[in-house]
Amino acid sequence: MIRSLRVACLLAFTSVTKGNIRIALLTMLILILVALNLVFVPGLLDGLAWGANDKLINTYSSDIVIESGGASHFIPDVGQLLSEIRQIDGVDSVTARNYIGAEIEYEGKYLGAAVYGVNPDTEREVFTIADSMAEGNYLDADDVDTIVLGIQIAGADDTELELYARSLQSVHAGDTVTVTYTNNIVKEYTVKGIYYTEFIQTDLQSHISEGEFETIAPYLSDNASAVYVKTAEDADIDEITRRIMYTTEGLRITTWEDHAGLVDSMTESFEIIEIIIDTVNLLVAGITVFIVTYIDVAHRRRQIGIQRAIGITPAAITLSYVIRAVFYTVVALSLSMIIYRFGIIPLEARYPFHFPFGDVFLQISPFVLIRTALLLFAVSVISALLPVRGVIRTKIIDAIWG
Amino acid sequence: MIKVQKLTKIYNMGNVKVKALDGVSFNVVSGDMLAIMGKSGSGKSTLLRQMGLLDLPTRGRIFLGRYDVTRLSEGQRARLRLKHLGYVFQEYALLGELTAHQNVYLPGMMLGQRERDYKKRAAELLKIVGLGKRIHHYPKELSGGEQQRVAIARALINSPKVLMADEPCANLDTISSGRVMETLCNLNRDMKLTVVFVSHDPGDRQYARHVLTLGDGKIIEREGKIT
Repeated sequence: MIRSLRVACLLAFTSVTKGNIRIALLTMLILILVALNLVFVPGLLDGLAWGANDKLINTYSSDIVIESGGASHFIPDVGQLLSEIRQIDGVDSVTARNYIGAEIEYEGKYLGAAVYGVNPDTEREVFTIADSMAEGNYLDADDVDTIVLGIQIAGADDTELELYARSLQSVHAGDTVTVTYTNNIVKEYTVKGIYYTEFIQTDLQSHISEGEFETIAPYLSDNASAVYVKTAEDADIDEITRRIMYTTEGLRITTWEDHAGLVDSMTESFEIIEIIIDTVNLLVAGITVFIVTYIDVAHRRRQIGIQRAIGITPAAITLSYVIRAVFYTVVALSLSMIIYRFGIIPLEARYPFHFPFGDVFLQISPFVLIRTALLLFAVSVISALLPVRGVIRTKIIDAIWG
Repeated sequence: MIKVQKLTKIYNMGNVKVKALDGVSFNVVSGDMLAIMGKSGSGKSTLLRQMGLLDLPTRGRIFLGRYDVTRLSEGQRARLRLKHLGYVFQEYALLGELTAHQNVYLPGMMLGQRERDYKKRAAELLKIVGLGKRIHHYPKELSGGEQQRVAIARALINSPKVLMADEPCANLDTISSGRVMETLCNLNRDMKLTVVFVSHDPGDRQYARHVLTLGDGKIIEREGKIT
């Protein structure tokens, strides 16, 4: 085997260095494009899923959501609960929100909306909504008579918005809106700011300070409709969830993954799209290597016959084609990784793809890289083997003299 | 050394059966220089291909030393060819992407010789055939005669017992033909190598110790003490 390998290496080396350089370059170019596609598509789809999850966690669900598990929709003694959760290892920050249904009116337009009473200070620690202000500013702890609206409620004269038609359409920071709560309290608020997180569920919320909320629903003081927990990086979310369960009974605890239904179904579709694109790509790679090898083998049929006649084993001849295919694949993979890492990713980071939930950045997953390499190697080797086997099976005299 | 017994080769050309060899029998002794002559289509190249283990006869036997090569598997024949036979083709049959040196040492490499040994031996053989200064040239940089001498050197790399040459001068001019045939004679004389060559040129008889002449797949003349 070692002998065959040595001979195969020599034949492959001379075939690459002395063979038709244009065909070699064309083959590698196609393999590079296929490799780029094999990495790019999952990179983009992973980026999409990552971007959507990131938005979900940072603007909507945080890492862990705690709600009342009983008949009441509210968690009592929330102050105590918050301080206990803060003591748990791996918890970065916690915030509580209270919720009340309302109808918001502006210049004759009405819109049903959820109004959340929030603690602006802890809210800033858990969520990034305050960093996504399209107009005005986010709430401060002592704010009263002010409200912050999600852009899908305000409209802000941005006709490009997904839900612009059903929004209040032309509310801007500084305007006054009238809010009618479900407990029949009616109040006018100055819009302190409008945020635009690009996550529609979040952009359909409106926030008032918890002090303001207490004036609307004093009976919900020290209650919360939900508590949101941000965990430290690399923290064990399941362990933290278990610890919270021990702290207080009767809570319904969910993680961000439980709220990622949209992303989950999106990811499933992505996986199917990925399989289709990968299959087409691999077929292109396989057919390319097959055609190149087939033409080469047909062209060298006599040479292969001579190699066999002078004692070169079929294994060595076959191996030489496999080594050549592997060489093309290694070069193509290496170049495509360099192009991807130092060309496409920086370029995409500078001019990112924009999706409804924000900018999407390409991801590089070691799993995808390894899978791409293995798939491309397998396809190249098989596609090189098939045409060679045909000639190897031909009688020597038929190969040489036809 | 080589016994050919009642060798028959029939080719199926569609519905027609063509008898290329018809019960050919003869022996080749060690150290002989045998020419197989005959007109085009007489079966001389077919005979050499059977003797060179490149093809199997329809009937009959070929003994190479103690081996009945007609009963060996493809793999066994390939090993025997590699170890004990050198074969020179009519059309040079060099690998265009390899230098003269690489062309010559490739079978040695396949046989598992040490790198230093097969490279040294290849260089020596190229020197013997008069191409010592052209070992790093590619086939396209060599003349037809030079390419054929590279092919002879390649056939000798594994120190074969028998060298077979199929019309080695067919594509060469007179001067190159003379050099190639002299090279074969020198190898036969100096290295005691058994040489069997095929030629249609009556002028090549002068280089042979014995001559077999074929006609329509049969031996029609034996020249010299050939049994």
